[in-house]
This record gives sequence, C-alpha cells and structure tokens, in this order.
Amino acid sequence: MAFYRSIRSRRNRRKLPGSFELQLTSMMDVLVIIVVFLLKSYSTSTNSFATVPGLKLPISASQDVPADSLQVIITPESLTFENERILDFVLTAGSIETNDAVYEFKNTDMDEGGRRIVPLYDALMKARDKQELLRAKSPQKDAEGKPLPFEGFLAIQADKSVPYETVRKIMYTAATAGYRVFRFLAMKKEI
Amino acid sequence: MLKRPSSRRKSKKDQIELNLVPFIDAMVTLIGFMLFTTSFLAIVSIESPFPRTSSADIEQKIQEKPLQLTVSIREKESEIWSPFERIASKVIPHTAEGQPDVSAIHQALFPIKTQFPNETKIVIVPTARTTYDILISLMDGLRNVEPTDPPLFRKNPATGVDEAVKTLFPEVIFGNLLGDT
Repeated sequence: MAFYRSIRSRRNRRKLPGSFELQLTSMMDVLVIIVVFLLKSYSTSTNSFATVPGLKLPISASQDVPADSLQVIITPESLTFENERILDFVLTAGSIETNDAVYEFKNTDMDEGGRRIVPLYDALMKARDKQELLRAKSPQKDAEGKPLPFEGFLAIQADKSVPYETVRKIMYTAATAGYRVFRFLAMKKEI
Repeated sequence: MLKRPSSRRKSKKDQIELNLVPFIDAMVTLIGFMLFTTSFLAIVSIESPFPRTSSADIEQKIQEKPLQLTVSIREKESEIWSPFERIASKVIPHTAEGQPDVSAIHQALFPIKTQFPNETKIVIVPTARTTYDILISLMDGLRNVEPTDPPLFRKNPATGVDEAVKTLFPEVIFGNLLGDT
C-alpha cells in the first residue's frame, strides 16, 4: 500500500506546474473593446434631465441636444416641476367606469377661465425669481452693465399619451410667468 | 557555409514578459467610471417659441401678406394653407387609425418649400385631443428633410451658388395657444 502511495504522490508532484501564469492577453482584448464601445456611446453633453418612472417619451428624428433648463414633466396622472410633484390630475367623470382612464386638471387648480394652472404658475414664478436673483449677483453683465436678462427656456417632457390640451395649458401658464421658449423633449431616433 | 545560430537566442532567459496587471487596473477603473457616468438615454429637443403679436405687426402683415404657412389639424383631416392665400390650400385626410397623415403632410410641403425656399416658419394648429406623440412626429415631419426625400436646393444670395436645403420649416409655432379650438 505504501508502495502505491509513493508512486502516486510522485506522479502528482510531476504534474504540478512550477509557475502558474495567467493569460491576460484575451482579457485585455475584451476590456479594450468595452472601452471603445463606451467611448463611442459616451454622451459628452452635460444636461441632467431627470425623468420619472413610467414615463414613455415619444421618439424624434431631431438632432438638437437640449441645453440645461428648467423642466416640467407631464405624466398621464401628474405634473412635476424640477423634481417636485406640483399637482395630480383627477379622473374624468366619463372614464371612471371605462377601461381607458382619462385625466384632467382639478377645477380648483385653474384660473383665467381654465387656462392657467395656479400651482405651476407659482412654482414657475418662484424659479424665475431665484434665477433673476442669481443673475443679479453674477459678475456677468450685459453691454450696459446690467444683469443678464432672464432667458425663459422651459423644457417639457410629456408622456406619449398626454393630449395637446394639457400641453397647451402648461405653455400658456409658462408664458404668463415669462417663459417664452419651449423645448419639447423626446428620445433620439436611432439611425 | 552559414554560421550556426547562437543558442543564446533560444534561451528562455531573454523572453520579455509585459506586465499587464497595472494596465488592466487602469482599464477596469476607466470602465467603471464610464459605466457610472454614461447616459444611455439620448434625449433630443424641438424648440418652439411662444407666439408674439401686436397691432403694429398685424397691420404690417396685412400690407406685406407673408406666406405664414399653417397646418391645421381637424377631427378627420389636416389642412395646409396660408391666411393670406399665397398658396392653394391642400386638405389631407387622416389615416385609417384616425391620426394625421404625417408622411403625406411632409410630402405636400416640398412644393411649397421649392416655391418659398427662404421661408423657415410654420404655424401648427392641433386639436385638443392630439397626443404628444403625434405632436412630436408632426413637428419632425414639418422640420426635417429625410435622407430618402428628393433633394432641395436654394440659391445663396451671397455666392450665387445653389446649396442643398437640409431642413424644411424648422421654426414651428403653435397657433392656438390662446384660443379654444
């Protein structure tokens, strides 16, 4: 028995590799490919447009990359301004018993004959005041030495199913608060 | 007679092994950083200004009679027209799904762009029930020239050379923001 054991141990000892070397070349290949892919798809834009769960953006063939601006997110059920939920819509009376839920603004949230959204107007004015205060304190001035004027850009992200009626009320409210240019956001169409 | 090659070349002592471990460290760090910071969701935008008007503008427009190309979306059809009748209005019925025929509208704009190559503005008048998805596809159809579209040219007044037009009517303005239609 001892004889067999000694032979086996001698054979095993011979099979053990003297120095084990990991082949890293193939791993390097994989890593380089991943780095190249990531560099290719790396977005150099600095925008930070947040989104909300469940929002389905439409697809657009536009190539314009949006610059940073204040943004409103419209889902079928609610309205969010700068990551803060401003208001919730209510189900229309006709859609309660049907499968297709249709939402609308609460009457208490509206004024000017149902055109202006009061909570959104307040939030937009607050944001505008904040921006104007920052511009007043900024060292950047215009040619006459006055603070730079408020640009009034508002980005709008809306769910595919949101009707124009809702978007129109938001645009009207924003215009009354001094926001004059709207950026409609969508997902980039892959070519 | 050739000299016998030196045995020194075959010796294992002369093989240089590149130390890849620090390189892999750097790669893994880089990949981690890029995965963390890359945004795979590419977002694009379409800009639209809020329309401005004044009584002086209206008087000037009545005198000048600009094109003011308008696309009105109705319940069953879309219409391309000009309030000052600079073009013959064209009615395009909706698709079988009851949505505006974006492709037909896009095609109908080509003769107008050929006729008015310097025009960049277009007014859109959607219905209250038009969804955001349709709005975006409609604005795309009004603004962009697809690679499959026939080529459009415009004479550059400075050089006198014909240049390819890359956009149709890029400035989209909503026409019924104040109205109830």
